[in-house]
Amino acid sequence: MSVFFSKNSIAWYFIIPVLAIHFMVVALPSLLSLALCLTDWNGFGKINYVGLENFYELFDDRYFKKAVWHNIIWTFLFLTVPIALALTCAYLLTGITKGQMLFRLCFFFPYMLASIISCQIWKFIFHPLYGLPAWLNSKGIDFIPAVSPFTVKETSLYAVAFVDGWHFWGFLVVIYITGMYQVDNSLYEAADIEGATKFQKFRFVTLPLIRPIFIFSIMIIIIWSIPTFDYVWILTQGGPAYSSEVLATNLYSQAFDRFNVGYSSAIGTLMFIYTIFIVSIFGVLRKLGWEI
Amino acid sequence: MDKNIIILLGGKMTKKLFIVFISSIFSLFSYSTFAKTTVTWWAETNADRDPVFQAKLVDAFNASQNEIELVMEFKEGLNDILRTAMLSGEGPDIVETPGPSYVKEYQEAGLLQSMEGYSSQFGWEDKLLPWSYQAGVFDGEFYSAPKTFETMIMLYNKTLFEENGWSVPTTLSEYEDTAAKIKAAGMNVFAYGSTGWQPTHEHLAGMYLNSYAGPDNVYKALIGEKEWTDPEFTGAIELLRKHMVDDGYWSGSLENYYALGWDDFHAMFASRGAAMMTIGTWTFGATTAGFADISDEWDWAPFPVLRDGGDDPSYLLALGTTMSINGSSENPDAAAEVLNFVFSNKEIVLDMAADFQFGEFVVPLYFAEDDIRDSVSPQVKRYLVDFAEATGKGNYGYTTWTFWPADPGVHIWKDMEVVWAGDISVEDYMYDHQKMWDKARKKGQLLPVGAR
Repeated sequence: MSVFFSKNSIAWYFIIPVLAIHFMVVALPSLLSLALCLTDWNGFGKINYVGLENFYELFDDRYFKKAVWHNIIWTFLFLTVPIALALTCAYLLTGITKGQMLFRLCFFFPYMLASIISCQIWKFIFHPLYGLPAWLNSKGIDFIPAVSPFTVKETSLYAVAFVDGWHFWGFLVVIYITGMYQVDNSLYEAADIEGATKFQKFRFVTLPLIRPIFIFSIMIIIIWSIPTFDYVWILTQGGPAYSSEVLATNLYSQAFDRFNVGYSSAIGTLMFIYTIFIVSIFGVLRKLGWEI
Repeated sequence: MDKNIIILLGGKMTKKLFIVFISSIFSLFSYSTFAKTTVTWWAETNADRDPVFQAKLVDAFNASQNEIELVMEFKEGLNDILRTAMLSGEGPDIVETPGPSYVKEYQEAGLLQSMEGYSSQFGWEDKLLPWSYQAGVFDGEFYSAPKTFETMIMLYNKTLFEENGWSVPTTLSEYEDTAAKIKAAGMNVFAYGSTGWQPTHEHLAGMYLNSYAGPDNVYKALIGEKEWTDPEFTGAIELLRKHMVDDGYWSGSLENYYALGWDDFHAMFASRGAAMMTIGTWTFGATTAGFADISDEWDWAPFPVLRDGGDDPSYLLALGTTMSINGSSENPDAAAEVLNFVFSNKEIVLDMAADFQFGEFVVPLYFAEDDIRDSVSPQVKRYLVDFAEATGKGNYGYTTWTFWPADPGVHIWKDMEVVWAGDISVEDYMYDHQKMWDKARKKGQLLPVGAR
């Protein structure tokens, strides 16, 4: 009996309701989705087993390949631009004592906005008839063409990534700045005595000491970049001409426009495998003693 | 306690219990005898539309009889909610879908009841326009009735045309000539855009396919007697590509067309930013409202015939929404009574449709000119009469969202952007399109097309 009332068991009792809900809402549908990838289900009727046919078709699908490539670009963009900006700003902000909260609030504010609002703001800013470039053009300033970058195939993916990045980078600033405040001040004092420059202090003191948070941010960016959907869907729906199509929009379109639920489950399965792979890498690194 | 008191109380209690028992039996009897059968109907919510449906359809039906209580529930994102409910054996008695491709999926999955018996009983085939009735016949039985029909037309600013001495084009050469004149006058040829509704491209694709290749050829391709790779069809898509990309007919450029939404292009049309607008008849309400406070007058014309030799213009047939009876409905007879109320009350249909300037709830019944009330704008009235006359003579074409199966139906608009981007040739695009049709045909996914 004592086993049931041990400290460890009591913790399990608290976790069980959450686990049960998680199983019903996440685990079970995920498992079913994994099974569906081997079928030709259209979301309505009979389910036929088709083996690996969906995967063969998928590897032959030029728009799926395009979506994979766009997800890679997306991940790369988010691993560079927002991180570089956030690190720089967070580091600079630690040196500001007056009005620091105001800056933090300003940077973090877009993160609090619903994606639909952020998207509408930027859509309107670049509106070809009523947006900022159109207004500037009407005033004789025409170095920015009055064309929405969301509607040009060469720029659409980057334009959407910019809006998503604009909303996201403030979040990174906040977590980096929190990490930077954990760094012992005596280390900076020692560096000052050694005559270190601001950059050297950042490179040799700050960065190594916020490494767990930094690696964590890299991990969440890689994982969150896989199912990215809302900004792309609201701003371009993956267009024009699939130029901003990502895996999640491709999956959605297959499932809900074309009624190819089995096929879209195959896309979901690949996304799932990739995510497990990334999480495993970080798990292995942690086992190897990395402080992450 | 005294024995007598117990007997007395017991006697009183027995009397009370008897009264309660008799009342309960009576209430149960009266409930089962006089209770109304409830019929539920889910519809996509819309702030302007919902009160009209409630007042002029639901309340009118409930007031018309004492046996059935119609309850209309307005839902956000109806398609997704409905599918989940239907798959779990739930959902409303009357099921609305956005078009025949959805009906096909539900019907194949056994989620809809055949309405063949009700159709024979109430004579629906005689009440509905033949093409619209045929679009609801799957595997030889009637499964879905149209809630509204629509077609593609070309709107133009009549005042502007008169001021400039332009005439409404009816042939390809007139069309391109008028477009050149409009552009020379510093305006956009057409106001239109796809932001917020990417499938907008299929409106244009359908118009060009029917107008350039001709409805007869489109019909042959639908039933498999022609291939989509035939020159009539590739020519149509190439002409659309030229007009869209090279000539910038719609909103000035392809990029602007992608960037403009419903409010933008209506504003552009009403403010002389464009001289014309290619759109479906669902615009009537918005266009009438947009021109209400300005001195310009709008009018409409059928889309020009773009093929050599010309011909009578034809109207593309399209169903906006369909109505069916849920396969798991416990009250299919009552649900059929509701549908029959709609098809048998032309007055109510006309009254509701008039509230939307015939952009919504235009149930395809046989309308005569006298049926249409004076409050309806003359342009709309003319459309209703012309449409009935032309389609009655067989001058009709086919919209992609009513006659194309799901996969090719998405391909026609989604991959059209790839053609416009220059990433794929028109021939390759139509080759892919044909492949999708072959696959759909093999899987038995084709939608009903009445004999021409």
